[in-house]
Amino acid sequence: MKEAIPDPGVRLGELCRGLLLTFTFTLPLTPRAAEPPRGMVLIPAGTYAPLVRDRNDPERVPVAAYWLDARPVTNGEFLAFVRANPAWRRSRVAPLFADARYLARWAGDLEPGPRAPADAPVVEVSWFAARAYARWAGKRLPTTAEWEHAAAAGRHGPVGRAEPDFMTRAIEWYAQPAPTILPPAGAGRPNFYGARDLLDLVWEWVDDFNATLLNGDSRGGSTAGFYCAGAAAGVRDPSDYPAFMRAGFRSSLQARYTVGDLGFRCARDADPAAVAAAPRPPSAPPAAGSPTRFARLP
Amino acid sequence: MKTQPLPLLVVAGLLALPWSLPAAETCACCAAAPALPAAALSGRSIYQLGAIWTSDAGRPFRLAELRGRPVVLAMFFTSCGYACPRIVADMTRIQQTLPAAVRSEARFVLVSFDDVRDTVPALRDYRAQHGLDANWVLLRGAPGDIRELAAVLGVQYKRDAAGMFQHSNLITVLNPEGEIVHQRSGLEGGLTAAAQAVVASR
Repeated sequence: MKEAIPDPGVRLGELCRGLLLTFTFTLPLTPRAAEPPRGMVLIPAGTYAPLVRDRNDPERVPVAAYWLDARPVTNGEFLAFVRANPAWRRSRVAPLFADARYLARWAGDLEPGPRAPADAPVVEVSWFAARAYARWAGKRLPTTAEWEHAAAAGRHGPVGRAEPDFMTRAIEWYAQPAPTILPPAGAGRPNFYGARDLLDLVWEWVDDFNATLLNGDSRGGSTAGFYCAGAAAGVRDPSDYPAFMRAGFRSSLQARYTVGDLGFRCARDADPAAVAAAPRPPSAPPAAGSPTRFARLP
Repeated sequence: MKTQPLPLLVVAGLLALPWSLPAAETCACCAAAPALPAAALSGRSIYQLGAIWTSDAGRPFRLAELRGRPVVLAMFFTSCGYACPRIVADMTRIQQTLPAAVRSEARFVLVSFDDVRDTVPALRDYRAQHGLDANWVLLRGAPGDIRELAAVLGVQYKRDAAGMFQHSNLITVLNPEGEIVHQRSGLEGGLTAAAQAVVASR
């Protein structure tokens, strides 16, 4: 009797899968202390001043140290994800998880094509897709607090606003139309933590994008009327225009929306041992004046 | 100016279980439940979410177990003093309004925002306090699953420093396929329309 000879391609596929599984499961158990995850930078512990605070909220909330992708996820990386996860291909994605514009600029299901260069950030991805990618990569999406904490850093220190051109550059980006073909991810100048493109390439999903309650507070609300003068005293600092833009943008999103210049990057919890071993930028930003310009409403 | 998202028309969806769960697994856990329809879920069904919740009876629960029934669902938390009791009261009124045949078929589902305080006993107490009958399902779950369910429903929420939640007030009606067919937003009115949506969804 003739034995079936397994297709070497299949066997290789199985082997790779097996290796990947082994890798996935052993990695968290054996962290190599001082070695940062590839392509990620350590964002040291700090604090984040929420844009809109409720009466119970402190002025600043602590943010634990974490790893953040040094740049947004690219088309090339996202292609690897949809190859491995057919349910996330453009022709197959469920409408619950992405609207009709999902990966619209790609030439085909497995073909990013000329309008989506491999090294450019992937855009037109929904929150569900971004989250699924992150999970597949063994990562997660950063929270708003984490993302904003990282993006608050300037080029030379943790307080970007202390640098003369920081705000101007961020505002300029909002004023520019998005280019048809996005430039490569990671080409921007690194900020103080080594993260690039946070403020001047694409908008980025955060895990808790749906925590931006600008109105409709369930308790009859201190933030109701946010856009009117009345309750604006709950707002941290109205001059932080880019932060307002981001909050407004996030609050306008639904998880299935895909947008022409909305991409994402991933994060990962930092193992305390790795944090201790990693090179450390100067710690906690000094409170340069009061972070709150306006007294809060009682 | 950067582009703003627009609700776009969507293409017809195909079967997809993006959380990489094999389709059969949806049924595997629920041997006690009546046999689920074997047909693939609609691309708009929220039963595509693979999360495993815990009921106030302490048993694992997938939303897909509700397939085949009209469902009235809201997110809440038991220590909410203002909005949630009103939402629950409104859901009770919807329940009472339904014709008897629909009422016995429909399920009323409360999913907690509060993964810390809303333990199984806390949910059980809440059921008792509010006199919720056997057609109500009270669920707790993992933070990531809560975030995801809120995302499909369009619920915004945020935990404040005191461990309370700000949240949108939304009652959602699901048809037997788990598709969102109606939402009552806010705390006023709309109960007749919601009840009609439940009847029409069958």
